[in-house]
Amino acid sequence: MNFDLSEDQREIKRTARDLLADRCPPERVRAVAEGGGPDGALAAELAELGWPGIAIPAEHDGLGLGAVEAAALLEELGYALAGAPLLATAAAAFAIEGAGSDAQRAEWLPRLAAGSATATLGIAHGDVAALVADAEGADAIVLVQDGRARLLTAAEAEVSPLETIDPTRRYARVGAPPGAGEPLPGDPAAAVDRAAALAAAELVGVCQRALDDTVAYVGERRQFGRPIGSFQAVAHRCSDMLLAAESARSAAYFAAWSADADPDGLPFAAALAHSVAATSAREATASAIQAHGGVGFTWEADVHWLYKRAQVASRLFGSVGAARERIAGAVAARG
Amino acid sequence: MDLTFTPSETAFRDELRGWLADNDPGPEPHGDEHAHFAWRLDWQRRLAAAGWSGVHWPVEHGGRGATLTESAIFFEELANRRAPLPGNVLGLLLAGPTIMTWGDEAQRERHLGPILTGEEVWCQGFSEPDAGSDLAAVKTRAARDGDGWTITGQKVWTSYAHHARWCMLLARTDPASERHRGLTYFLLDMEQDGVEVVPLRQITGESHFNELFLDGARATDAQVLGGEGNGWRVAMTTLSNERSGLAFFHQVRMRQLVDALAAELAERGGLDDPRTADALADVAAQVEVLRLTAYRGLTRLERTGEPGPESALTKLMWSRANQALTQLAVDALGPDALTAGSRWSYELLRARGNTLEGGTTEILKNIAAQRVLGLPRAS
Repeated sequence: MNFDLSEDQREIKRTARDLLADRCPPERVRAVAEGGGPDGALAAELAELGWPGIAIPAEHDGLGLGAVEAAALLEELGYALAGAPLLATAAAAFAIEGAGSDAQRAEWLPRLAAGSATATLGIAHGDVAALVADAEGADAIVLVQDGRARLLTAAEAEVSPLETIDPTRRYARVGAPPGAGEPLPGDPAAAVDRAAALAAAELVGVCQRALDDTVAYVGERRQFGRPIGSFQAVAHRCSDMLLAAESARSAAYFAAWSADADPDGLPFAAALAHSVAATSAREATASAIQAHGGVGFTWEADVHWLYKRAQVASRLFGSVGAARERIAGAVAARG
Repeated sequence: MDLTFTPSETAFRDELRGWLADNDPGPEPHGDEHAHFAWRLDWQRRLAAAGWSGVHWPVEHGGRGATLTESAIFFEELANRRAPLPGNVLGLLLAGPTIMTWGDEAQRERHLGPILTGEEVWCQGFSEPDAGSDLAAVKTRAARDGDGWTITGQKVWTSYAHHARWCMLLARTDPASERHRGLTYFLLDMEQDGVEVVPLRQITGESHFNELFLDGARATDAQVLGGEGNGWRVAMTTLSNERSGLAFFHQVRMRQLVDALAAELAERGGLDDPRTADALADVAAQVEVLRLTAYRGLTRLERTGEPGPESALTKLMWSRANQALTQLAVDALGPDALTAGSRWSYELLRARGNTLEGGTTEILKNIAAQRVLGLPRAS
């Protein structure tokens, strides 16, 4: 039993933290959000480093590491609110690797790993996926519907940019005419679960950033002659944020480990991670706004980006309610 | 990261399971508190006779020298088997390790053996009516009296005092001292005049804890642990002693409760109500997160020797989860679960104590804020 990142995994995380602190400071996040564009320079640099291919097998030119390493990276991308499409590409790569044909893998995975192509994955109902991350400009879009997946090229998919409350990342509505694209022959369920694990890891980073920024603020901000963090009402809010962040971390890393090592346990672990990380991130980021006082409600403070990311990212791979249904089903079945 | 158990951890679990399969703790006595405690003490005697008492204690002190993970496995398996915690749990988890750290040879020789077997039960005399969360306000007075000490004062919330032969007692030996200074830690013999135990009745109707009145109780110099005036440090050893084992016991017990509730609800079609199913998923998720976080805390402790933020959080997690779980049971099962003496009504009431015992939620949140997050203290 060893439930912690290895030294190598911690090193990946530290490297990512340092690099993103430099390349993706709050001013940059704001510029992306207010300029409405993705951070192309950042995406290009991360591709140079091989990050998009972190979990793509080495035989397809990826780094060949696991979902745990990818989760460590995603946590830091969430912490920085980076505007690079790594979650989207990783999700699509999981689907192509897990459910695609040999030809589909050979065609797409090396390009995704190299960053010369990007891809994304959406959950569709009635041939429409209502919320897909980084679909605009993606070379390939995997749509999952009723337990089957098909792969569409940019030309085949109908991508309508969607202005969500979270402008730190681009989202779109993606439609696919019946029969468009080519099916992935395999079952995409595990890929969606792996994607949910990474989305949860991203939300862990969002929680941690909300906590760190809030702790810094309430340690500095003074009222009644002392830092507001010395008031229990504020301190206890921060402790609750810590509880939320660590709960999300436990669940997200459990799901990532299950993705690598326990396929039978993955569906439950992914539902747990989705439910816990979403709930935790919403709570922690809402608390960050509250603890920043009136300032936290202004556009000029940065905490609202975290709240907005938490809200939208929680919905990328299904609803929290659906994840809870899966958990309840699993509990009823084990009794 | 590897959430599977190593071959030696699995071997430990298998050996314990084998023993537990052959050694049934017997039916849990209900309604009679003394019979219930006797059952737990008998269970400890049998564990001790087979070498399963104090699994986390070093071999030199009669323990099994188990790793932290093996100790966690021990508590998980006890709960899996629906066996109780050993009767002398405070001796095993608190008094014993504190005596190992601070005791002299004679004290170790005298006390550790009977703690392991349960022959001598221990209680913890820290809290007082005016020194609850604010432990440094302890007023119980130990006055120098010839070659020993005379102790006068009152303790409260003293679990197991009515069964205990010994008490971990924190008293003020320097009357001019304030706060953390001038305190001394005594190994107090409970079987003497001047020690009176008065049971307190809990909201469940049971009496598991007590008031402890000390009126001229005597202690010898040989019963001072860790030196005169050093009581605060010794008490901190007691309070910080590795209790994460209990988190593993609780998470298994809570999972059993979740499963029992799910089964009862399924029988009545209660899970067809999406609100009930959603609430069940929420508490099941909380229990699972507790298990995972407890394991993260264990790994951290094994790797660094220092408890991480996780260990400050598991108590908050299980107390909150148990209250949510029992409230859900009562909501979903209705009047049947509100009958006095029913399983769920008992669990509901008992759970209110979870956010008070072993550090209130408010104090634990202060500790997390100050020690983990580094927030400033109120001046």
